[in-house]
Amino acid sequence: MDKFKEIIRQYPFLGFIIAFIILMLVPSIFFTDLYQSHLASLICINIIVAAGLNIVKGFCGQVTVGHVGIYAVGSYTAGCMFLYLGSGLWLTLPAAILIAGLFGMAFAIPSFRLEGPYLALATLGGGEAIRLFIENGDFFMSTYGISNIPQPIIFGVPFDTPDKYYYIAMPIMLIAIYFSFSVLRSSVGRAFMAVREDPISAAASGINVKKHKMLAFVLSAMFAGGAGAVYAHLPPGYIHPNNYTVIEMVTFLAMVVFGGLGHIWGGIIGAIIITIVYDLTRPLYEYQLFIFGLTIVFTILFMPKGIGGFIDKYFIDRRFKTKTGAASK
Amino acid sequence: MLLKTNKLMKAFGGLKAINKVDFELPANEIRGIIGPNGSGKSTFFNLVSGVYEPDPGSYIEFDGNDITNEPPHKVGELGLARTFQLLRLYQDMSVINNVMSGYHTLVPYSFIDAVTGRKKIWDQEKTIKEEMMELLSFVGLADYAELNASELSGGQRRLLVLARAIAGKPKLLMLDEPAAGLSPVNVDNLMKILMRLKEKYGLTLIIIEHILKVVMDTCSKVTVLDHGEKIAEGTPTQIKDNNAVIEAYLGKKMDDEEMRKALAV
Repeated sequence: MDKFKEIIRQYPFLGFIIAFIILMLVPSIFFTDLYQSHLASLICINIIVAAGLNIVKGFCGQVTVGHVGIYAVGSYTAGCMFLYLGSGLWLTLPAAILIAGLFGMAFAIPSFRLEGPYLALATLGGGEAIRLFIENGDFFMSTYGISNIPQPIIFGVPFDTPDKYYYIAMPIMLIAIYFSFSVLRSSVGRAFMAVREDPISAAASGINVKKHKMLAFVLSAMFAGGAGAVYAHLPPGYIHPNNYTVIEMVTFLAMVVFGGLGHIWGGIIGAIIITIVYDLTRPLYEYQLFIFGLTIVFTILFMPKGIGGFIDKYFIDRRFKTKTGAASK
Repeated sequence: MLLKTNKLMKAFGGLKAINKVDFELPANEIRGIIGPNGSGKSTFFNLVSGVYEPDPGSYIEFDGNDITNEPPHKVGELGLARTFQLLRLYQDMSVINNVMSGYHTLVPYSFIDAVTGRKKIWDQEKTIKEEMMELLSFVGLADYAELNASELSGGQRRLLVLARAIAGKPKLLMLDEPAAGLSPVNVDNLMKILMRLKEKYGLTLIIIEHILKVVMDTCSKVTVLDHGEKIAEGTPTQIKDNNAVIEAYLGKKMDDEEMRKALAV
């Protein structure tokens, strides 16, 4: 087992190929109807957003409540490119990632001077401004939304039903997770954490604080933009400004907080759980926000590092005890 | 000269925290900086390391580079490391990550390498980690490597801060009260580790310290600041007998006439 772990650590790609094969088989074994496939695609999309949000919020410690705006930018880049240029997912996805990255840059600028709740307000304003801009722009079809965004066709096979679209969303999610893991486990991830913990101290160690804040924002914006594009093409291919409100943002935040801020698996665990819970509580629509608000509050009170941190702590404590306890007794 | 300041000045409003300080430090020296509270010692550190911007007219040179208006991370890159009076540990990071982030400027791979996650990176990360573990066992924290920094005791935190500052292989290490709050045994231990580190890495040191024993035992030369001005400089024995220094710490001895005047008012 240790040897297997070591191989995975050296060739992280292998692990992802194994995960890919397993996830390819999941639908045929477990899913009984189309709706479950749809939910699975949605989970994939949410994982991408949450993994990105974890970079900027969990690792770099910059509170951003405007991420849903960038998600909207990704979606509407895809939507508008289809509407005016007739492009498919393979063109709109890179374009959405690129443009979302530019927006991420803009969102990073306030973080140079603002902190905590003030930064949250600034980014909240930014995110809402984007949504309102879309809602009132005829170019973006305003409140009609963009519909009939096509699904991609590979080798003549259209991926136009939820059960097929899962095979598009899932690999993209795996690629996104792969990138987030690579970044966060490298020196860049460590620098992000240092900036989160103490910017002055980080600067004294030679870490360029502004550059890393910018990097974190741009990276996570690219994740959100990519997720937005995948969401836009999700069957039935319909996007509307109301899909990008603060409510969605709270859900994304709940994912990251619940899964574990600053934990490499945090966003992923959280995205899976919260998306399923969100779906199960649909009949209780009026209470949904209440439930997620409470989830955030209770997680922060009793499990400040979320599920991921909780599990981590258990293993580290046990290892530490076996190491030092054996030595002292 | 490794570090040189010329007419270094910094005013906060009307208060001249540092007033025209000329400071010269050759390589391989251990220099102590002492002075009463509020005399500008920490401000001096903050100016040199780029945390504060000095007032116009000042000049700071480090290792042949003009660093007067450089941002702190540039100064850090040039090989000037420092610790903080309030430690500023990365509380919520593991001990090993604390030290490894101190190594940041020396990491051999680029950002693009990191994003694509090539195998070469994990090899390099491994060697960095081994090197940092060596450093940790040198200061005696190897067993605690995976614990959160916030779980360490006060003395261990001081050692960790030291290890983090040295991780980047600096040329000059500036320590802001490294022994504050330590028991005498721990102070001796810390000083022993400090001296071994200095020899091993060929460091030049500047130490701000209120425990005079530390300053007198380890420093080859001492600079005394008072009200932002340099009032004395010399070997520890010279400083001990310097009237200006005694005055700054204990006040001036008054004769009868002066005393009478002071009491009348």
